Amino acid sequence: MAEVALPPPRHRNLLRSALLGLSWGWLLALVLVPNLLVLAASLLNRDPTHFLQLPLTLDSYRRLLDPLYLRVFLDSLALALATTLGCLLLGYPFAWALSRIDGRWRPLLVFLLILPFWTNSLVRTYAIKQLLAANGPLNGALLALGLIDAPLELLYTQGAVILGLVYLLLPFMILPLYAVFEDLRPELLLASRDLGAGRLATFVHVLIPLTLPGILAGTLLVLLPALGMFYVADILGGARVLLVGNIIKNQFLDARDWPFGAAASILLTAAMALLLFAHRLARRRLRDGEAP
Amino acid sequence: MSGRLPRLWLALVYLLLYVPIAVLLLYSFNDARTGYRWGGWSLRWYRALFANDTLMDSLWNSLALAAAAATLATAIGALTAFALHRYRFRGRELMHGLLFVVMMSPEIVLAISLLALFLLVGLQLGFTSLLIAHLTFCLPFVVITVLARLAGFDARLLEAARDLGASEARALYTVLLPAILPALLAGWLLGFTLSLDDVVVSTFVGGPSYEVLPLRIYSMVRVGLKPEVNALGTLLLVFSLLALALSQLLLNKQKS
Amino acid sequence: MKPLLLAGTITLALIVAGCGADREPQVLNFYNWSEYMPQEVLDRFERETGIEVVYTTYDSNEALYAKLKLLDESSQYDLAVPSTYYVSKMGREGLLAPIDHGKLHGLDQLDPQLRDQAFDPGNTYSVPYLWGTAGIAVDAAAIDPAGITSWGDLWRPEFRGRVMMTNDVRDVFHVGLKLLGHSANSTDPAQIEAAYHKLAELLPSVRTFNSDAPRMPYLEGEADIGMIWNGEVVTGRADLPTLTYIYPREGAALWLDSFVIPKNARNPEAAHRFIDFVLRPEIAALISTEIGYATPNLAARKLLDPAVAADRTLYPQPEDLVNAEFQQDLGDAATLIYHHYWDRLKAGR
Repeated sequence: MAEVALPPPRHRNLLRSALLGLSWGWLLALVLVPNLLVLAASLLNRDPTHFLQLPLTLDSYRRLLDPLYLRVFLDSLALALATTLGCLLLGYPFAWALSRIDGRWRPLLVFLLILPFWTNSLVRTYAIKQLLAANGPLNGALLALGLIDAPLELLYTQGAVILGLVYLLLPFMILPLYAVFEDLRPELLLASRDLGAGRLATFVHVLIPLTLPGILAGTLLVLLPALGMFYVADILGGARVLLVGNIIKNQFLDARDWPFGAAASILLTAAMALLLFAHRLARRRLRDGEAP
Repeated sequence: MSGRLPRLWLALVYLLLYVPIAVLLLYSFNDARTGYRWGGWSLRWYRALFANDTLMDSLWNSLALAAAAATLATAIGALTAFALHRYRFRGRELMHGLLFVVMMSPEIVLAISLLALFLLVGLQLGFTSLLIAHLTFCLPFVVITVLARLAGFDARLLEAARDLGASEARALYTVLLPAILPALLAGWLLGFTLSLDDVVVSTFVGGPSYEVLPLRIYSMVRVGLKPEVNALGTLLLVFSLLALALSQLLLNKQKS
Repeated sequence: MKPLLLAGTITLALIVAGCGADREPQVLNFYNWSEYMPQEVLDRFERETGIEVVYTTYDSNEALYAKLKLLDESSQYDLAVPSTYYVSKMGREGLLAPIDHGKLHGLDQLDPQLRDQAFDPGNTYSVPYLWGTAGIAVDAAAIDPAGITSWGDLWRPEFRGRVMMTNDVRDVFHVGLKLLGHSANSTDPAQIEAAYHKLAELLPSVRTFNSDAPRMPYLEGEADIGMIWNGEVVTGRADLPTLTYIYPREGAALWLDSFVIPKNARNPEAAHRFIDFVLRPEIAALISTEIGYATPNLAARKLLDPAVAADRTLYPQPEDLVNAEFQQDLGDAATLIYHHYWDRLKAGR
């Protein structure tokens, strides 16, 4: 961050202590402690009436390695990756095209990107469900045009869940990419072409590295929520497609196996930590690469 | 890479984004009981919506919760951002990191960790628990927004105020606050939107005494086709457009 | 500065408005299934008694049970409606308060066959609200209902990809167990495993699981045959007249939803008054007509529109219920076995 370093205040005053106390207070009470509680819960035994009981055990983590759940986790990860890829494929060219549009129109176009957010995301998921149903308008239109003879099976499929997730999360991919593209100097691309690089080479060796921070930020913002949005899988997947979020929710609210739900949640946290770490590493390498 | 293709791509993505919204809009005026048949134009679902007390109650609940959570988050978030910006202290990097982690945490992880906390301290699930939870996921967004604005703030102004005899608190209030006001507004709006749209966190920490709109919609959507939901979505869209137009108008007036 | 001030004022106003509602003198916190009580009944109760009904909803017995356990101490509910064996489960775990029969009128009008069930002897904790069966639904536009008589028909290869099942472990295993000639309440691990293997053969045919609104996949055109609750057929027929209900010969699943009062209810008095209100024949008849499920209230049944009362989908003949069975609470050990195979069933695509 390019911040102008402030001269330190001349004396430690009451305000400083109060502000720091407040900041640390909410972080400790609302973030650190609750997460430690979940960690503790994941190490306890299941109890049919009181949810949790001693002694400590690693049983829940052992169960996560059960091929059944391992497979669900991998399926869920694959689904989230497909969503991220979908957002990237749609969003990358979009963000680039948007940054090349006449400056007067850009605020309006960005606004149009965010506008759907103000209609509830559940309402929009529901609209997609109506759209995709065998008796819905999409199949109706295709049938009327004679493109198909029988309604396509669109709803209650993995594809429907991916579509729903892409739809809800696309702006989170586009906005960081757009920010990067806006700062990108087109001369760099021209220079690359002038130096004889082909389109593909320019893309791979110049454009991708320059926009990598945006790609990484967008990936983080899409991949992590895509693992947890259980309601999209419920509504569009017909309870046959399971996300990690569905498993966690089921363990807490339905099966009442809290230690297992907590362990699954810790796994998700670990996945997030891994991704954040990768993000940091990639950014550092990028910065080091620029230096020499 | 030039010519019509980029514009075509823009159009395609906007089409994708707005087709479901168009379906919503259209069906909200559909007289038929199911969305899978066209029964002619009608306003019956808007009437049904306003007659649906539980749904309207949950709408007000959600608006109140979102406003309260956004306001508190803006206040606390701005102070945190200021502390991070102005003071050098031990654990500053850690605080930065933690903020980032909270922002990136999948909602479901945040939700169950807070549920665990509320159960441990015996807090009744209801307005208070919802407020604390929503406040928590709004906070990092406010902090980041305000920090970005602070980065562009000339700190010498503050020093000048102190030199002229203002107390630290007074200097902050008269010099800094006006400068970061746009960021505060943006943070508030972001928090308001996030809170209003949240399903995951409310599912876990909500209680029967305070039902919020997304949960109400969720149960309505699950039990079958509810054309009132289409009407509600349309109204939400119209209101947000109006609010935006109004704020633009006010801003333009202020400028001139 | 002004916009911020404005926002603050609005916030305060909204908070004050939000708190005002809590100070009403009499409130009944009613926790019920979604769309399971006509607004008109709530309105009439409020007008008559001055007690405000706060109606919140759940969509599975598991969710109800979990929330009641979580909120055991603070007890924010005065009245809830669990299904069948959940009454015994909750009663046994001390979550319920006994019903004061002296405060209710017309209990003797309830169908004797639905009173005094094994899951609540003497109706200590529960008063029957609505009841029904889970059987087979067929869209007659796609499949001739005359040819469907057995749960086993769902396995026919021509229905591949057009079958739907309710999203409930006990319902689905009811089908598997019954088809193999076992009780739907089996606790024998070998029988449960056998049912699992049988159901695993059905899974490729299953288009979707849905317990929230099992009629919807038929209306959407996504399914033609499958498991359903009878009332869903009644509701669904308004939009899809070809939806037909069939009692399978191996036995439908019987269920009974009952009013219960949580142990720590703040206003058990209001809860009793509400149950008493619903026991009135004209109110019970109104509910049965509006919601589309059968009332256990024999006096109310006489008030029903003859077409509704004669509807075999809602009010079965004795021969329809041969082999039909109520689900019972099976205890923690057996429940875990069911869940184990259920997870396996749904993940094993």
